[in-house]
Amino acid sequence: MSNKMTYVFSALFVLIAHIGMLLNIFFNGNYSGVGSVIILSAAVIFLDVVYFMAMLFFKQNTYAIDFLLILLLNMSVIFQSCFGGVRLSVKHYITCIVALASCRVGYILCRNHKWLQQQKKYFYIGIGILMIVILTLTGSRSMWISLGPITIQPSEFMKPLFVLACATSIAEQQNKHKILKFHVVYENFALFGLMAMIFLLQWWCRDLGSLPTFVAIYACGFLLRICYPKAKFSKNKLIAAGAVLLVVAIIGIKFAPSYVQDRLHVDIWSDQSGGGYQQSQALIGIANGGWFGKGPGHGYLHNIFAHDNDIVFATISEEWGLLYALMMVFVILIIVMIPLINPPRSYFHATMATGICASFAVQMALNIFGSCNMIPFTGVTIPFISSGGSSLMVSGLMAGMLIACQSPVFVQTKKPKKKKSVQPVNYPQQQYIPRRESY
Amino acid sequence: MNTLNLVLCAVAAASLDICALVLILTAYQERNTGKKRWNRMTSFMELADYSVSYPLDCDEILIGRHASADIRLPDLSVSRYHAIMTVSNGVWTITDIGSKSGIFVNGNLIKTIQLRENDVIKLGNRRLVFRRKGVN
Repeated sequence: MSNKMTYVFSALFVLIAHIGMLLNIFFNGNYSGVGSVIILSAAVIFLDVVYFMAMLFFKQNTYAIDFLLILLLNMSVIFQSCFGGVRLSVKHYITCIVALASCRVGYILCRNHKWLQQQKKYFYIGIGILMIVILTLTGSRSMWISLGPITIQPSEFMKPLFVLACATSIAEQQNKHKILKFHVVYENFALFGLMAMIFLLQWWCRDLGSLPTFVAIYACGFLLRICYPKAKFSKNKLIAAGAVLLVVAIIGIKFAPSYVQDRLHVDIWSDQSGGGYQQSQALIGIANGGWFGKGPGHGYLHNIFAHDNDIVFATISEEWGLLYALMMVFVILIIVMIPLINPPRSYFHATMATGICASFAVQMALNIFGSCNMIPFTGVTIPFISSGGSSLMVSGLMAGMLIACQSPVFVQTKKPKKKKSVQPVNYPQQQYIPRRESY
Repeated sequence: MNTLNLVLCAVAAASLDICALVLILTAYQERNTGKKRWNRMTSFMELADYSVSYPLDCDEILIGRHASADIRLPDLSVSRYHAIMTVSNGVWTITDIGSKSGIFVNGNLIKTIQLRENDVIKLGNRRLVFRRKGVN
C-alpha cells in the first residue's frame, strides 16, 4: 500500500461512523436487554476489523471502494437489525459476509480484461442457462426458485453477466463484416438479441421491475460504442435510435399488461388499503420520522410487507431520519462516482464500470422514487442496503468488478521468450537525426 | 424527541458525513498515486507535436482526425481513424487501422511496430515524436 496513512485514517473513520450508529442505538434504540446491543456491536466491529485485515492480503491499486463497501454493508446490518426492535439479524449478517466474499471473487475474475475477453462465449452461455433455469425451475411465470428456507432470484445473476457481455463486445467493434452493402458487427446483433430475450423473459415472468436496470446497462454499452475507435456512429443515427426508444417506451406504456397499468395509474391516497398501501404507509413513515427519525427500532413500518427491501428507504427514514437516509444514498453515489474520480485505463473496464454504475444508480432510483410515489412501485432493491441474498451477493460481485476496473492487470500472462524479449526503456539510444522540418 | 436523542442522531449523521468526506479524499489521493503508477507502467512515454504533447493515459489510444479520437490531429492528410497505440508490459505498439496515407516510423512504412524512445511517427503530413515525458 502506497497511501498507508490515508488507508489507516479511512479505516478509522469507517469504524467511527459505525460506532456513532451503535451509540445512537445504545442511547436511543428500542431494545429489551443491553446484551442485544453488545452482540450487534461486536458483530459489526468484528466484521470491520476482519475485512480491513483481509484487505492487506489483496494487492490492489485502490481501496476506496473496499472501504465504502464495508461501510455500507455494516450500515445495512445495523439498519436491518433495528427493524422492530434491536437484535442482530443473523441471516442478513451472513448474507453480507457472502457479499464481501463475492466481491473478492468479482475482483479476481475481472482484473485481467485480455483474459476476460477470451472467455466471452461463457457469458452468453451463462445468460442462456439462467434463462432456461428461470423458464423451467421457477414455477408458474415467476422469477424465484425456492430451495427450502432459501429463495434464489436467478435474474439477479444475469446482471453481471450482461455487463460483461456488453464490455467484451466493445472490443469487437473493429471486426466489421460486410453483408451486402453494409458493414456490420455481429456482436452488436448478439447483444441486441440478448436484450430482446431478457425483455421477453421478464414480460413472460411478469416482473418488468428490473427491466429498466437491464435497459440502462444496455444503453451504456450502446452509447460507449460511439466512443470506441472506428465505431463511426453518426449523430443522426443516435437521434434515430433515441427516437425509436422513445416510441417503443410510449407504445410499451400504452399496451402494458393490466398489472403494470394498475401500478401506473394507482392513486395511493384513495386506495390506501389496496394497491397504494405500501407507498402510502412509506410516505407516512418518512413524514413521521422527520429529519432525525423516531429512533432505531421505534418505527412502525416494520409491520408492513417488504419493509426491509422494497420500502427500505422509508423504513430507514422513519427510524433514523431523512438526513441519515439521504447520507446513505450519498455513500452509494460515492461508489458510483469513484470511476469518475479515478477513470479506468481501458475501454473494456470503462464500459464495465459504466454498466455497473448505471445498474446501481437505476436500482436505487427505482426503489427510492418508487417508495416516495414519484414513479410506479417496482419492488427493486437498493444495492447493499436491502435484504435479500441474491441481490446482496450480486451487488457485492459487481462492487468487486468495479474494484477490478480500478486495479486492472495490464501485463500479459504469456512470458516472452528470452532471446526475443523486448526491454521497454533500456534500449540503447537510437541515433536520432532531426530533419529540417522536424524538431 | 429530547435533546440528548437529537444530539446523538446528529453525531451519528456527522460521523457518517466525515467518513464519506475522508473516503472521497482517499479516492483523490489514489488518483494521484494511480497516475504515477500508470506512468511507470507505460515507461513515462508521450507523443509530442511541434508545441503540444499528448499524454498516453489509456491502454488503447486512437489517433485520427475525428472528434472522438483520443489524440485528435485536425489535418486533412490524417484519416479520421488513422492509427491505434496499445501498451503491453510497458511496450507501446502502433498499428495502422486502415488509413489512406499509412504510417511511417523513422521513414519506414509500417503496418504495426513496437515503438522505441525518440521514434518519429509520420501520419499524413503530421509528425509526432514518441519520447519520454518532460523531454523537450
